[in-house]
Amino acid sequence: MDLVESVKMATATLTGNRLRSALTMLGMIIGNASVVAMIGIGEGAQRFAADQFKSLGPNVLFIVPGNDNARNRTLNIPKTLVLGDAKAIAEQVPSINDVAPQLQNQAPVVYGNKRKSTLVIGTTERFAIVRDYNVARGRFITQQEVQRGTPVAVIGSKLAETLFGTKNPLGERVRVRGLSFKIIGLLASKGSFLGNNQDDVLLVPLSTLSSRLTGRTSPYGVEVTFISVSAKDKSQMAAAKTQITNLLRLRHKIVTEDDFTVRSQDEALSIIGAVTGALTIMLVAIAGISLLVGGIGIMNIMLVSVTERTQEIGLRKAIGATQSDILIQFLIESIILSAAGGIIGIMIGAGTVVMVGVLTPLKSSVSMPAIALAVSVSGGIGVFFGVVPAQRAARLDPIVALRSN
Amino acid sequence: MPSDNSHSAVSHKAAVIIRLEGVNKVYGLGETTVNALRDVNLTVNAGEYCAIMGASGSGKSTMMNMIGCLDRPTTGHYYLDGEAVAEMDDSQLAHVRNRKIGFVFQQFHLLSQVSALENVMLPMIYANVPAAERKERAIAALQQVGLGDRLNNRPNQLSGGQQQRVAIARAIVNRPVLLLADEPTGALDSKTTQEILEIFGNLNTKGMTVVMVTHEAEVARCTRRVIWFRDGQVIHENLKPEDLMQATF
Ligand SMILES: Nc1ncnc2c1ncn2[C@@H]1O[C@H](COP(=O)(O)OP(=O)(O)OP(=O)(O)O)[C@@H](O)[C@H]1O
Ligand SMILES: [Mg+2]
Repeated sequence: MDLVESVKMATATLTGNRLRSALTMLGMIIGNASVVAMIGIGEGAQRFAADQFKSLGPNVLFIVPGNDNARNRTLNIPKTLVLGDAKAIAEQVPSINDVAPQLQNQAPVVYGNKRKSTLVIGTTERFAIVRDYNVARGRFITQQEVQRGTPVAVIGSKLAETLFGTKNPLGERVRVRGLSFKIIGLLASKGSFLGNNQDDVLLVPLSTLSSRLTGRTSPYGVEVTFISVSAKDKSQMAAAKTQITNLLRLRHKIVTEDDFTVRSQDEALSIIGAVTGALTIMLVAIAGISLLVGGIGIMNIMLVSVTERTQEIGLRKAIGATQSDILIQFLIESIILSAAGGIIGIMIGAGTVVMVGVLTPLKSSVSMPAIALAVSVSGGIGVFFGVVPAQRAARLDPIVALRSN
Repeated sequence: MPSDNSHSAVSHKAAVIIRLEGVNKVYGLGETTVNALRDVNLTVNAGEYCAIMGASGSGKSTMMNMIGCLDRPTTGHYYLDGEAVAEMDDSQLAHVRNRKIGFVFQQFHLLSQVSALENVMLPMIYANVPAAERKERAIAALQQVGLGDRLNNRPNQLSGGQQQRVAIARAIVNRPVLLLADEPTGALDSKTTQEILEIFGNLNTKGMTVVMVTHEAEVARCTRRVIWFRDGQVIHENLKPEDLMQATF
């Protein structure tokens, strides 16, 4: 008997029992839909995280005081990252473009009777370039203002909206801890980074903040919260990291543990990748279990079907069906059940992924490998779980089968 | 052994369709064995029309399964149309059943979810007959049993007699050398029985070898040879049907 006839026969049987076929397929539908949806959404989450890091600025390295990897944790390493370090890096490290030290503090910003606790960042004129901020209106802080400690400020779009509404903030004055700052620029919106709104900020000259507000200095000079550095290009990041580390070790006279850490986006990204990857694997495992359950459902129904159709099997054998004819017929039935369930499931999963992509910031998209995986797994399940019932059918003794009731 | 060859007008020696030599069939193992067939020797020539009779449990169905290649003898030899089938494996037997034998059962055994036409086409699917020819031959077979106007009806839309006629069409569609029927009229009333017997008679007249099991003397009387079973043994292998009334076994 040729394959076309076998497929026709199997389809006729399955469509003759629509409700049962549909219910049997349900396990496969749910399993496949979840595999495709989970992988698609997981990849979307990873892409989302990657984009978030890109918003920090191109090829940025962050130098933060302290060292999480220090072997001797009991020794409290002094946090001594200072403005001088930033200057030294700018002058002596060849593989970098720009350096922007920043000193930051959460503080209330007041305008008229409005008050908002905000991240106040003291920095230099290089900040906008390193961190990829654009000025929408007015101008950014200048070098002279940083040198003189002028009380001027550039306001983030979110903070401006909170304090000024639709009013033009340029030329207005806001107060931070009693000190009055003149707004000279409005930043273009940058969106949030891992839940922190990057537009809810007030940028002021670093010297103004350190001398007049925080007053945080160490024996080595003006202390900074961290230093952002932009490497010349992506390939220079590793070199920049080594050069900065060496320079700071010299400057800080380090013999044992570093008292600072140089972090790149890639490292942070790989951690996030690992986390979302693990999450995806877990979700896929759960989806895989539902595929397994779907497969067992198919096996169960096929066994019932063999029992119910014993007489039919006997008749087919009596008129000349061989064992392999019967085996193939039942195997094809289970393959059709699992494959059709798989295809419907994949379509539902893909639909879910597209919908999530539209409705949430996760840039989820249908993953081709996920579909390939789902298709091959469901085909395999059809064969694997179909073999036992099909063999049982094929091995039936035609006389016994014909006599059964 | 019936050595006369009165049915064969052309050749002086009729071809032997069935030859059983010392066939035994034992069911079960150990103490509960049943000797369903004991040392059966029998020859049926091409073109014969035989009835197998005997009490319930005497081995008639066992015999039919044997000559229908659904079962193999425990010991002994069976030659069907010259081929030794006792030694064949399962798939060779399936092939023989498909090409050489047509079965008609008491319970019709039609596939309920498909039409009469598709039921009749089924044996040809297993014989790899091309689709177009399949349909042509199935229609011809249904016309031969008088169901040319019921091609697309499903079994549950047909009477018992009509269903049995579909089953006969299915049995003859692969042009077998032997038509076997185990109590084909057992589930039918006397009028329908006559219609079915007429079809068997016509097929036999056209040269088909027919062997049927029956309990009814009326039915057996339409055949030309009666084989009588008792306790798994052939006790009369060539009774004249017209002698049946006075014969009580
Ligand atoms: N599969 C089997 N296993 C064991 N014994 C069997 C089996 N099939 C038949 N028998 C036994 O073999 C004997 C012959 O049975 P068979 O079915 O051939 O009788 P029969 O002549 O067709 O009877 P009936 O007229 O009632 O159909 C019986 O004793 C029966 O119990
Ligand atoms: Mg019987």
